[in-house]
Amino acid sequence: MKQIFNRVLTHPKSVLLLLLLLTGVAGNQMRNIYIETDMDAMLPRHSDAYINKQVLEERFGSTDMLIIGVINDEKDGIYNTHSLTLVQELTDWLAEQPHFRTLALNDLLSLATIKDIRGSENGLDVEKFMDGVPENRAEIDYLKKRMHEFGVYEDVIVSADGSGTIFAVRPMPDTRHKYAEIYDMVKAKVEAMEARGGSERFFISGRPVIEGVFGVYMPQEMKRMQPIIMALLLLLLYLSFRTPRGVFLPIVVVLMAEIWMLGTMAALGAPIYTVTTMLPILILAIGIADAVHFLSRERLLAHYQAYAHRKERLIEVMHELWKPMLMTSVTTGAGFLSMLASDLPPIRDFGLFAAVGIAYALLITMLLLPAALMLLPEKEKHADRKPLFSGYVEWLGRAVLAYPKRIMAFFAVLLIISVAGVLKLDVNASLVDQFKPGDPIRKADEMLNQHFSGTTSLDVMIDTGRENGLLEPEFLQHLVDLQLEIEKDPMVGDSSSIAEFLQTMNQALHADDPAWKRVPDSSDLAAQYLLLYSFSGAPDDFETFMTGDYRQAHVRINMKTDETRVVAALLERMKGKTDAWFPEDKGFKVEWAGTGFTVHRLSEMIIEGQVASLAVSILAIFLLCWWMFGRLLIAAIAMIPVSLAVTVNYGMMGNIGIPLDIATALTGAMALGIGVDFAIHYLHRYHEESVAGRSYEESVINTNRSVGHAILFNSFVVVGGFLVLLSAALYPQMKLGALIAATMVVCYLATCYLFPVLLGLGRKKIRV
Amino acid sequence: MNLGKIALIIFTLSILTGMGSVLSYSEELSGLDIMNRVDGRDDGDDLIQKIHQKLIDKRGNLREREMVAFRKDYGKDSKSISYFLSPANIRDTALLTWDYDGVERDDDQWLYLPALKKVRRISSSDRGDYFMGTDFTFEDIKQTPELEDYNWTLAGSEVVDGHDCWIVDGEPKTDALKKNLGYSKTRGLVRKDINMTIRTDYRDRKGQELKHFRITELKQIDGIWTATKMVMENIQSQHRTEMIFSEQKYNTGLSDRTFSERMLKRGYRD
Repeated sequence: MKQIFNRVLTHPKSVLLLLLLLTGVAGNQMRNIYIETDMDAMLPRHSDAYINKQVLEERFGSTDMLIIGVINDEKDGIYNTHSLTLVQELTDWLAEQPHFRTLALNDLLSLATIKDIRGSENGLDVEKFMDGVPENRAEIDYLKKRMHEFGVYEDVIVSADGSGTIFAVRPMPDTRHKYAEIYDMVKAKVEAMEARGGSERFFISGRPVIEGVFGVYMPQEMKRMQPIIMALLLLLLYLSFRTPRGVFLPIVVVLMAEIWMLGTMAALGAPIYTVTTMLPILILAIGIADAVHFLSRERLLAHYQAYAHRKERLIEVMHELWKPMLMTSVTTGAGFLSMLASDLPPIRDFGLFAAVGIAYALLITMLLLPAALMLLPEKEKHADRKPLFSGYVEWLGRAVLAYPKRIMAFFAVLLIISVAGVLKLDVNASLVDQFKPGDPIRKADEMLNQHFSGTTSLDVMIDTGRENGLLEPEFLQHLVDLQLEIEKDPMVGDSSSIAEFLQTMNQALHADDPAWKRVPDSSDLAAQYLLLYSFSGAPDDFETFMTGDYRQAHVRINMKTDETRVVAALLERMKGKTDAWFPEDKGFKVEWAGTGFTVHRLSEMIIEGQVASLAVSILAIFLLCWWMFGRLLIAAIAMIPVSLAVTVNYGMMGNIGIPLDIATALTGAMALGIGVDFAIHYLHRYHEESVAGRSYEESVINTNRSVGHAILFNSFVVVGGFLVLLSAALYPQMKLGALIAATMVVCYLATCYLFPVLLGLGRKKIRV
Repeated sequence: MNLGKIALIIFTLSILTGMGSVLSYSEELSGLDIMNRVDGRDDGDDLIQKIHQKLIDKRGNLREREMVAFRKDYGKDSKSISYFLSPANIRDTALLTWDYDGVERDDDQWLYLPALKKVRRISSSDRGDYFMGTDFTFEDIKQTPELEDYNWTLAGSEVVDGHDCWIVDGEPKTDALKKNLGYSKTRGLVRKDINMTIRTDYRDRKGQELKHFRITELKQIDGIWTATKMVMENIQSQHRTEMIFSEQKYNTGLSDRTFSERMLKRGYRD
């Protein structure tokens, strides 16, 4: 090892050049970084939710629609000439935009495109509800009456009370990267319409909008938070070192590590997900520790002038530090790598690249700092400044010895409260809930859910196993039964299927007699109705409800929420029913898909991954500690502060009501990986003090005096760094920031307060 | 002036006038003239034929229908009756159409549903509405479009499969017509020798390519040029409709009673 250190110090310029070169290469790679906002891409490719979504789009077309709602709170709602003129205008405008696919009826649903099916004297009339804007009261009243009688579109396109209507339009395939642009375009249009006056208010939502806005927020957030956290680091470094090199060298180290990490991600084709936007901040906060340790030690040795030559001194620093630095990096890395136990690509990427970044930070610290210090002019004026928090650290050493019982009691109460909270822990992978309450997107979504059938899609695909299978009266009746059952859920706004339309046609062809609103009596009759319809309607009017061979049926469900527990409960309830109505042994196959289902599967995987990665990280870190300290008991003790901190973390989430989601699920393994460093540093020093023959009390005071300071600095950086996330525009980042910060505080307290007490309890047995 | 000179002058003049007449001929012929020729082409006074329809979606799923169709011309108007032979669940369903020239009067259509044992009148459709689940609109299935609704321009000539063709562009005259028809522009290839449109490309209201119509098999039956295979493909949805015509019998003197509601119910008998 010393040889390697020697070589670094002999060729400092080459080392720096190499580092700069690599940074240049990585920086160049960063141009290839892309942002992934597709929620389905967060699922592993083998997940049924991912596969079914592809099948759904293949068979029945995409269900991800941009949704615009118009609400008019005046007496007649939107049933007035002014509102309906706006409806016609916006419909025509949407139909002309090249970014939208407007081939079939189901590509652009609005009051001005949907068709009414009605019986006439001797036939079937299929006509648009609005053929141009109705001109007088009578026409408007007729429109309102038909909308209510036809029923299929009530609540879906026009709210039941007539106060609002929606437009659902399908973006062109492969315009995903333009979703944000499309949103801006639509927003500009409706704002222009609003600006002309009138009591209509517009709201825009739908998955393309949500994902588009996410895509805009994410890089913005990364750019915005970077300088804040840098400023924080500069401040803390200045307080610690008060020399330019002490401030700037660590910053250069972590910036390089950040660029390397992002470059690696780009080179490996890993996209940026919501959670991975936090990686740069993480690397800045964690990576700085090694550099700080290095510079502190170097300064201490320089101060005591223990070594005549700068090179010898630097070799000594490197030699002393490489082991503990490697250890803490390995344990932290293990915490992050445990996230690979999850099935979800964003979590896996987060863990993997955090570990990579940490490794880079260590490597760059060990190369750049010695090389730079070799080249920088040696200054003798390193004043003997007292570290800033010396007073506190001294007090701490004595305080823990004075009040062991109070400390124990405090942590016992904390533990009890936390365990109670853990039991209340909830899961929620909702997409909309990732926006803060009050965000325009979330407000629009709430508004639309309040007035209409809901913006979250849930889809059932039923394969009858044979051609013309879905025309059978028994099957159609079961579709109707299924819809009735699903609609019992208060969070389900509406559902639709081909059965509804066949019922309506049956009624229309029996003189509009409501008694005939039932499924056709025979398969032939159903086929003939559809043929009859094809003379008046478009061929693809029903393409989203059935395949052309009449084999596969699709039931579309609109839900008012994408909260996991609601979807899970619904799926649970429907399972038995679908098994009975569409038995597999008769060739039926039922598959679920859609945003609701994706969210449901995401949640399941978050929990599974969470449990797995926690188990892996606890085990891995425990084994590492055992190996490092050589004693099982010490390894067990080393795990106490972090285990407590992690329990408090989940307890807090349970108590405050923050559900586990894709971001907050990261906190456990993360806190474990970062927090265990404190314990390792502490135990390491305590061990050395004990070995040196000092008493328990002396060891505690000395340990606090030396590493207590470093741990405090580390805590400040990590807590401060994660608190910066509180300013984030995205809810998951905010929550994660607050949680990690709070967990780190607990971890710090448990290490510096609880540890000595515990070591004191077992001091007879533990001769560390 | 000797005879030789006179002969030369006459020769030169005749060549010039000949060339002039050739030139003036092609100058005179407008897009509308060509479309009028297409419209005026002999297609028989009546026709019986079998139609085989194939609807193919972008995944290659195939839906087939077979029918037998009768048509009779009444001046510029025409009447037709089609009986579905297959698939089984729509067998004996029959469609009667009275097709009126011009746009003033909507066509009349009735459908007989054997499962319901009733004749149902079909409400009039927009010309841009799709016909029977095919990729043809009501406008497309007519022999020729309503000529007065388009501005026709001759855009040149092209040789297709060894046949010299005119390129004729059609643009619906008003925005309302464009909306109604669903097209902003059409470009047809008309064979100069037989005055038949053998290809048409359609652009949608956004100006993007929408559909391609192709006659893929063409032959002379009883002296009348007859398309025996054609395909209409929607470029955007990748859905396509193939039509195969067979067993044509022209000018058999179909009686007017063939096109009545009574015959609609009675069904097709060989």
